[in-house]
Amino acid sequence: MEWANDKSKGGVLAHLERLETQMSRSCKNLEDPPRETAESDLGTKIHKLRCLRDKLRAEVKQRQARIKASTANAEPDQTLEISEQEAVGGKEENMKAILQAYRFTGLSGKRTSRGVCVCISTAFEGNLLDSYFVDLVIQKPLRIHHHSVPVFIPLEEISAKYLQTNIQHFLFCLCEYLNAYAGRKYQADQLQRDFAAFLAGPLQRNSLCNLLSFTYKVEPQGRSFPFCARLLYKDLTTTLPTDVTITYQGTDASSTSWEEQRASHENLFFTKPLHQVFTSFARNGERLDMSLVS
Amino acid sequence: MDARRAEVRALEAEIAALRRACEEPRTPGEDTSRARKSLQEIHQSDSGEWAASKDLRGHLGHLESELLFLSTLTGINIINYSMKTEDLTSTENTEKSIKKVLQRHRLSGNCHMITFQLEFQILEIQNKESLSSVITDLNIIMEPTEYSELSEFVSRAEDRRDLLMFFRSLHFFVEWCEYRKCTFEHFKEKYSEAVRLPEGAASSCMVVQSPRQPGFELVIVWRIQIDEEGKVLPKLDLLTKVPQQALELDKNRVLETAPLGFRALLGVLGIEAALESLITSLCVGENH
Repeated sequence: MEWANDKSKGGVLAHLERLETQMSRSCKNLEDPPRETAESDLGTKIHKLRCLRDKLRAEVKQRQARIKASTANAEPDQTLEISEQEAVGGKEENMKAILQAYRFTGLSGKRTSRGVCVCISTAFEGNLLDSYFVDLVIQKPLRIHHHSVPVFIPLEEISAKYLQTNIQHFLFCLCEYLNAYAGRKYQADQLQRDFAAFLAGPLQRNSLCNLLSFTYKVEPQGRSFPFCARLLYKDLTTTLPTDVTITYQGTDASSTSWEEQRASHENLFFTKPLHQVFTSFARNGERLDMSLVS
Repeated sequence: MDARRAEVRALEAEIAALRRACEEPRTPGEDTSRARKSLQEIHQSDSGEWAASKDLRGHLGHLESELLFLSTLTGINIINYSMKTEDLTSTENTEKSIKKVLQRHRLSGNCHMITFQLEFQILEIQNKESLSSVITDLNIIMEPTEYSELSEFVSRAEDRRDLLMFFRSLHFFVEWCEYRKCTFEHFKEKYSEAVRLPEGAASSCMVVQSPRQPGFELVIVWRIQIDEEGKVLPKLDLLTKVPQQALELDKNRVLETAPLGFRALLGVLGIEAALESLITSLCVGENH
């Protein structure tokens, strides 16, 4: 019978219900007639109920068979997936590697449950320096959940200007400030580490490394430190100073050569990174030594 | 009689139960979750791997979205990357607990229409106090090579081994190129009679000619330069081409001072408005 093949639940059930109503109606009709026919009617009822039960059993079996079939269908996929897994795994490795490689562009990051955590990498003259992160919550308004940006970097100012309107600009700007700070810090660290012999005492600096003050000499052997330097980096996005003041505090009478030196030093500090200025001092000192020897 | 009635009752009960089994509403996920459960039962031994594979699919999608975010943010699309390491630690280094590793990186990708291939080396030195990472070599190959402004920039980046500046400046350079192309195309479309792009929209010059006075030409040269610090700046210049007669008639030396005037106009109005006013002033009278 075609209705047995009707897969739609409504179709089969509806038919069964109709059958049932027919039967209950026919049963009702059977209740009134005389007792003599009751037994034979009961027989008919049983027969009809048996039919109904059989149909329902078939229906339930069909449902179960359908489930079994769908699970059976999944089986061959599984073998396909295992061999595919290697290809997929290889692709995953490649993508993970590329994500790591983004740090060389200055900005990398990953998605978080809240939004995104952006990592800003810094470098100076080929030296890879510290990274900083900014954890952003993607909401309206966009906000910073937490970060590792040093307190003396004007993060609030930059985010107030750009965060809501242009996240790319916000990050690039922050990148600029952080890279410049990292570069200035690197120069100051290098000076202290490699040229301590040229300095009278430690280099004086602020946390932002944009105000440096030190007393120095240009030859490692000399006992006096004739020059006093004050470097100010007003533009926080640069790694070279905007203001350089060199004063000569020696007691030497012949002032013209000192004045020349002082002026040339000022120019050097304006144009070259701090530690490179001292490298050239050291090299000049070596040249002088050589001339003494020969 | 009683037995039959009992049978009737039993049948009715069974029918009711079967009906319930048929009517049971199936929640949408129920079939699939049942399937998954039974599948897991069947493949107990391999379920670990198989489940990992399923997770991998979702994980891949996650990685893809992260990559899309980064390429949109930086403007740089990295397609391939690989790294090899070489241990350069000598026995002397090991005694002093110094570790030296040389990393060879290969990276390729594109920034809009410009493709790049980079090969660089990073020397990592780890001693007791600190870890230093220095780029010791940088090689950059870029295509297309018709952007002459770029070749100088690339050499500078290679000399300085400044990888970060390379990527940042490249991104801004390409953005400016796209903006220039869009602007030129916009004006060509709006003033098709007056504006010519003799070298195409991707080039650096736009010629404005009054249709009524074809002898007069204004050539706007828009170059995009990358300075020493890696800052990308547009540089616009105005060149005038006029017939000899007009030059002689020009008592107020308007034409001589035009380039300077244009620079001033740029400062006041910005690029688009300055170009627009230049074109409309030449084509005045066209539209009424």
